[in-house]
Amino acid sequence: MIDLKELTDEKIIDRVINQDQELYREIIERYQAKLLRYANYLVRNEAEAADVVQNSFIKAFINLNSFKAKLKFSSWLYRIVHNEAINSLLKNKKEKPILEGMDFSDTENIVANFMEQEEKEALRVCASKLPIIYAEPLILFIFEEKNYEEIADILRLPIGTVGSRINRGKILIKKICQTIKK
Amino acid sequence: MSDNKKIAIEKNVVALIKSGQIKMKPRWRFMLGSLAMIIGLVALVLVLIFLISLISFSLRTHGPMGDIRYQQLISSFPWWAPILALVGIYFGVKTFRKYDFSYKKNFLAVVVVFLGVILVSGWLINYFGFDSVWLKRGPLKGMYQQYDGGMMRGSGRGMMHNNFK
Repeated sequence: MIDLKELTDEKIIDRVINQDQELYREIIERYQAKLLRYANYLVRNEAEAADVVQNSFIKAFINLNSFKAKLKFSSWLYRIVHNEAINSLLKNKKEKPILEGMDFSDTENIVANFMEQEEKEALRVCASKLPIIYAEPLILFIFEEKNYEEIADILRLPIGTVGSRINRGKILIKKICQTIKK
Repeated sequence: MSDNKKIAIEKNVVALIKSGQIKMKPRWRFMLGSLAMIIGLVALVLVLIFLISLISFSLRTHGPMGDIRYQQLISSFPWWAPILALVGIYFGVKTFRKYDFSYKKNFLAVVVVFLGVILVSGWLINYFGFDSVWLKRGPLKGMYQQYDGGMMRGSGRGMMHNNFK
C-alpha cells in the first residue's frame, strides 16, 4: 500500500485521472487551508473565500485533463483560485482602488529591514489595505512562500513585472503599516 | 478560517465527485480546443495576409495619386478590407493572449512579429506579382478584378475599364 503523503501532487493527479477519482480528496486536504487563506486575502470575506475555494476545487477537477505537467500543479491550482477570486471581486466590486500619493522612491534597504522586523500578522493587516495588483504578488511571495517563477505562472505576468510589483508592494506596505501605527 | 469550513469543502466536493454530479472533461476535448484555436489562428493569418495583399493590389493598380486617380481609388477601394483586417488583428492579438506562453514573452514583441509577418507576407505577394496571376485565374479572380484599377494593364485602359464598365 502506497502512502499518499509521500506522493507528489503530480503523481496523485495522474492517479486521480487514471485510477481513482476519490484520491482527489488528498489534493483538497493538502491545499484547502492554504487556498482559503489566499482567497481570503483577495476577497476579504471568509464565507466568500470558502465559496471561491470550493468552486476552484470543482473547476480544477472538471478540467484536470487540461493540466500540463510542465507547470507545477500548485501554480495551476492557485491560478484557478486567482481567477475565481477576481470574478467574485468583480461581481461584488470590492476591489481596493490604487492608492494615490504613494511614491516609489528607492528605499530597498529600509524596506528589507522593515520586513524583517515586522510580524507577519501585522503585515497581513497592512496587506489587506494594499491595491490588489501589489497585494497579490506580495501575499504569494511572503505568506504563501512562492518564488518569482511560480508567482509569474499563477498571475500570468512576466517575471520582471512580478519583481517590480513585489518591490513596489513592499514600499507601499511599509507606508501603510507606518500610517496604521501612528 | 474555521475547521468546519475546510471539512465542508472537502465533503461537498468529494460528494459531488462520488455522485457523478461533476465529471472530468475528457482529454480529447482540450486537444480539440487547442487544435481549433491553432487552425483558427492560422486561418486568420491567411485571411489577413490576403486582405493586406488586396489593399496593396488596389493601391498599386490605381497608380499615381492624380486627382482623377484619387477619385477613382476612393470610389473603388475595398474599404471593408482594412476594417476587416483591423478586426482580425484585434482578435488575433486576443487569441495570442490566451496561449500559455504569451505572458513569459515580451508581448509587445509577439504582437510586432505577428503584424510584421502579415504585412511583409501581404507585400511579398504584391512584390512577386502573385496578385497579378490571381487577377487572371484562380478562386480569387473575381475579387481582384473588382478592385483592379487597371493601371498595370497599360495606360488609360484601367480608367476606361472602371469608368465605362
